Amino acid sequence: MTIAKKLLPYLLAVVASFVAAGIFISLMGFDVFKAYQTILFTSFRTPNGFIQTLLKFIPLTLLALAFTIPLNAGKFNIGGEGQMMAGGIGAAAMGIMFADLPAIILLPLVILGGVVAGALWGLIPAWLLYKFNINEILTTVLFNFVAFFLIDYVCTGPWRDPAAGHPTTVLIGRGGWLPMLVNNPPLHSGIILAILVAIGVYIYTSRTTGGYELVATGANPRAAGVFGINTRRMFVLSLVLGGAIAGLAGAFEVAGNQHRLIEGMQSNFLQLGLIIGLISRGNNGAVPFVAFMIAVLEVGASAMQRTMMIPVEMVFIVEALILLFVLLSDVVRRK
Amino acid sequence: MDTTIIDFLRLVLLSMVPFVLAGQGTMLGGRTGVFNVAQEGMMLVGASVGFLVSFFSGSILLGVIVAMLSGALFGLALAYFTTSLKMNQFVIGLALFFIGLGVSTLLPKLILGITLTPPLIPTLKSIPIPLLSQTPFIGPILFKQNILVYVSVLVSIGLWYFLFKTQKGLELRSVGEYPMTADSLGINTTKMRYWSTIIGGMLIGMAGAYLPMVYAGTFTEGMTMGRGWLAIALTFFGGWSPLPILYGSLFFSAVEVLAFRVQVIGSFLPYQILQMFPYIATILVMILTFKRSRVPGFLGNNYDREKRSL
Repeated sequence: MTIAKKLLPYLLAVVASFVAAGIFISLMGFDVFKAYQTILFTSFRTPNGFIQTLLKFIPLTLLALAFTIPLNAGKFNIGGEGQMMAGGIGAAAMGIMFADLPAIILLPLVILGGVVAGALWGLIPAWLLYKFNINEILTTVLFNFVAFFLIDYVCTGPWRDPAAGHPTTVLIGRGGWLPMLVNNPPLHSGIILAILVAIGVYIYTSRTTGGYELVATGANPRAAGVFGINTRRMFVLSLVLGGAIAGLAGAFEVAGNQHRLIEGMQSNFLQLGLIIGLISRGNNGAVPFVAFMIAVLEVGASAMQRTMMIPVEMVFIVEALILLFVLLSDVVRRK
Repeated sequence: MDTTIIDFLRLVLLSMVPFVLAGQGTMLGGRTGVFNVAQEGMMLVGASVGFLVSFFSGSILLGVIVAMLSGALFGLALAYFTTSLKMNQFVIGLALFFIGLGVSTLLPKLILGITLTPPLIPTLKSIPIPLLSQTPFIGPILFKQNILVYVSVLVSIGLWYFLFKTQKGLELRSVGEYPMTADSLGINTTKMRYWSTIIGGMLIGMAGAYLPMVYAGTFTEGMTMGRGWLAIALTFFGGWSPLPILYGSLFFSAVEVLAFRVQVIGSFLPYQILQMFPYIATILVMILTFKRSRVPGFLGNNYDREKRSL
């Protein structure tokens, strides 16, 4: 099958969801064409818009991978944002406790703190699955809420910045800040690492023995077991790996953007990560491209809300519809 | 002391309603094999729509009805995609969860605009049952509640009777255990799956509508706070049976009320740690009970009568 033929259902899905949402937008009395122009082109009109898009692209790619890696092994990780926040806490902890260290030590420590904390947050549901056979969907979801409250606690606890109005921690040490690629508007170097991680995950799952075992487990756990793969260990590995990558996203948020923890810093990364992962159908190679597309829509959505007063949720529904239509294209092809 | 206990138990019954209704809704769909994971989104839509309709019509009853219809619509979509199109239940459930999440915040923003002071609706009044509410101790706990507390208990008992005491109920359960056998006996498995998911969706929508009508008097973004997900845990905890789900919801609600109460009274624990309590307690309960939990045999699967094996 040629690439064009492969992409056709996606294109149709995008067009169909834009048409469906467009009808609704015009019924609400808004200018559809202006709305869609804003959504699609804000990212490409100004350098600021493009960098905003790249900044969104980083956590979205990582959170989508945090979902697709376990999905490759046949497990659903719905806890990416909790793992990301845990990663943020781990990174901030390192950056605040060892604030005086030079960048060459502190920066890796901050990143590592995030990755380890995220991996631990993924390990708990994985362990519950391994030991007690508890459905990972529920435990990963519930640990999101635990992480959100933990962040609020950390922001009001001993590391609280008394000068700030809203509960936040103090800034992490200057050495823990990610170097900037572009200064104005700011773009941190986490994007390079994120792209490397995405390439690494793609190579791991499609070109290595370990990754093949993981994918085989997801494709048919019973057959994988017969061939001597320890499938339950693969479940654990996939969830911990997913957690670590989500934790990295949290570390970037702290080291690259905020330089501190902020109460309620969670956003809709979880849902968008899941949508990206599902639109990619678990194909890690497709994830960065879909993530970029969703980042474009998200940046366009905020611009649309600012200039046209159309709520950002409109675009979120468009994204959910794209997912639904992509899934439907499978059914059409089966027939 | 006595009044504190009465007060606490009264609140536990008051707060169990979303758990009971969402749990029964999940159970009903699951009993025909449809595993719904869109509760959180469906409850949010129920809350949003229920609030908006009550606010504009001035009728809470109408609000509840429209919330139930919105739940039914999601249930119908779930049934169509899984039963007719045979798509993966988790994936479709997640997609519906996203749509629900988006719609629930979009509607109030579009209709009311972005306001700092959201309008309020009157909260549900308690309806004392004559004579019974005069009984000491249990009177104020059991019989001075709002109408939906009574409804949720009646729904639970009704579902138990239907599922375990009637022929149709037996047929419905058989679809969730061995659809092939059920099919060979002439039971319309498709119809069963549609109806159980639609009615289940109505109950979940009603569970959502309860939140603005009892707690806040208004809709706030994400106000379910994971109750939809907790309802799934509750359903497993209750072994996919109506009466154990009803009892189990008392536990879930007691944890919620307790965590809230301790926050108000104040304790050595920071309030954020107390807020984690319901989620951690749920996970502990899952560890203790999941191994023994009875689950419908065909849960999460789609039945294709044209395939030789399942």
